[in-house]
Amino acid sequence: MLALVPYLQGNDGVPVNEVAAEFGVTPKVIRDDLRLLMYTGTGEYAGELIDFDLTALEEDGIVHIRDAEFMTRPLRITTREGAALIVALRTLRASASGEELTVIDSALAKLESAVGDVSAPVDVLLDEVDRDIHAAIVRALADGKRIELSYANASRDEQSDRDVDPRRLFTEQGKLYLEAWCLKAEDLRFFRLDRVVAARVLAIDAEEHDAQVRDLSDGIFTVGAQTPYAEVDLHPRAHWLTEYYQVDLVEEREDGVWRAKLYGADWSWLRRLVLRNAGSITVVAPDTLRAQVADDARLALRAYDEDVTPSKE
Amino acid sequence: MAERKTERLMNLIFALLVSRQYLTKEQIRESIADYRDSTPLAFDRKFERDKEELRELGINVEMGSIDKYFGDEPGYRIRRDEAELPDLELTREEAAVIGLATQVWEHAGLAAESTTALVKLKAIGVDVDTSVLRMAEPRLSTDEPAFDAVWDAATRRIPVSFVYARPGREPMQRHLQPWGIVSWRDRWYVGGLDLDRGEQRIFRLSRIIGEVEFSGQPGSYEIPEGTDMKDVARALFPPLPEEAAVLRIRRGRGQSLRRMAESITPLDDETDEVEVKYASRWELASEVASYGPDVVVVSPADVRETVVQRLRAAASGRLDPSGAFQ
Repeated sequence: MLALVPYLQGNDGVPVNEVAAEFGVTPKVIRDDLRLLMYTGTGEYAGELIDFDLTALEEDGIVHIRDAEFMTRPLRITTREGAALIVALRTLRASASGEELTVIDSALAKLESAVGDVSAPVDVLLDEVDRDIHAAIVRALADGKRIELSYANASRDEQSDRDVDPRRLFTEQGKLYLEAWCLKAEDLRFFRLDRVVAARVLAIDAEEHDAQVRDLSDGIFTVGAQTPYAEVDLHPRAHWLTEYYQVDLVEEREDGVWRAKLYGADWSWLRRLVLRNAGSITVVAPDTLRAQVADDARLALRAYDEDVTPSKE
Repeated sequence: MAERKTERLMNLIFALLVSRQYLTKEQIRESIADYRDSTPLAFDRKFERDKEELRELGINVEMGSIDKYFGDEPGYRIRRDEAELPDLELTREEAAVIGLATQVWEHAGLAAESTTALVKLKAIGVDVDTSVLRMAEPRLSTDEPAFDAVWDAATRRIPVSFVYARPGREPMQRHLQPWGIVSWRDRWYVGGLDLDRGEQRIFRLSRIIGEVEFSGQPGSYEIPEGTDMKDVARALFPPLPEEAAVLRIRRGRGQSLRRMAESITPLDDETDEVEVKYASRWELASEVASYGPDVVVVSPADVRETVVQRLRAAASGRLDPSGAFQ
């Protein structure tokens, strides 16, 4: 609230809504703060208390502050503010590359010197990605260039090449993603950076594409009516899956086995997840997935000279 | 109540900021209504707490001797040159980076804190134009109920206790001196000195059940010098891959294994021999098994055996109650 005092003097006649937007709070919070500010000042007499042009405030929603000349400059960034900002900068740093690191480091150093006693013992760790690939994508974004991308698709287990026009880099679940217009699919696509096998910046300018931007506020993977799911049984060893993936618990049985709906991007992803954790997870339904998993496993076992008797159910 | 306290703190700051001399306690009491209305004892307590609160905000209340006529009676003031935000002399790019940083938090409280810091910078004339940079847009979110209390405790060095539930174990009351917190793979962890075990430990915030209780005063312990949260968090990370395995992978398949390959040698038109390093045979076996018939382990024998076990379980379509799985 203290920060309002110099801010309002530097922005005389600013609308309440704009103040709220600038401070990232609701207009009501600002109005409450203004009301409280009127009880504060260097003394208790008229002229010593902070005052506002109430007519302008109530009728036009505009703020004119008076009698606050004793504080025209904001106080230092507080410990809490500093910690929040420094951690945010460290997060930016974790996903930055090349020259950006120098800028972030110098901004951090200047900020840390201006904030009193800030120990912000908070770190943000991102999974490492290939430095050259990361740098190439950052460069293409900054210069507005097209990228030739080799990408390994995890669920279909394929590698393919394509040209993309990059739009932005972002993080989701602690991993870096590139959002780009894929010229092959003629649509917006997300590419996980640790699955990019190669990235080459082309000498072609990236174009603007008319694309519906997806709302990612619920995460990159959202469950809809069309999302494939399997009904599975989870041994206690596999209960951790419920923390990592989209899962609806159906039943917690007394023997510790959980029955759950497990959602996946597509069927091959689900099949791979079950194979990966076989023994700790089994498919109850649908039958096709159940059969696919068993067939895959029997086929694979042949390579190990296994004599496999089809299981009797 | 909260409003009355905010009002009192603001007035205290203003009074101490504008005064050129030290103010005596009595002068301070006289000039602020809430102090005046309190009994001497209550005033003493409030004044001490308020000074502490200002200190935590980063505002230092300086104590000094008033002058010879008042003998040794101490006086108080806030030095304007120390309290006010100095010029940071930020470059255009640095200002833009700070502007982008205020968009990182998806936690309402911390988003507002970092935004206020930005407004202060703007108020001293920093021009923030984020469009000069195109950088990655990372987000920091928190949905762990324990986050706020743990953030508070870690940044103010307050010992805490909480009930912690690891999967498959009984929930237990734990006592911790937090050294710091870490976000990894979108989850928050707090690390520090585990007072029950007398060792450095790390806890996942989503496994804390119920309230986090403060069990001491702010600043009541020291964080060991040279503590790096990355080291404290090392327990979370997979160990370095040191073992070698040889796999046969169908051409064009097994992408994740190919990416970690040390070498890839074509065997025939359809198959490559791929050498990989690994840390955990369980994890390598899981990855191999997930590819079904497309990947076969040649060596070592224990990985081969683990994969075969997993595939047998998959072929049977039943859960395996034995401990042969991790």
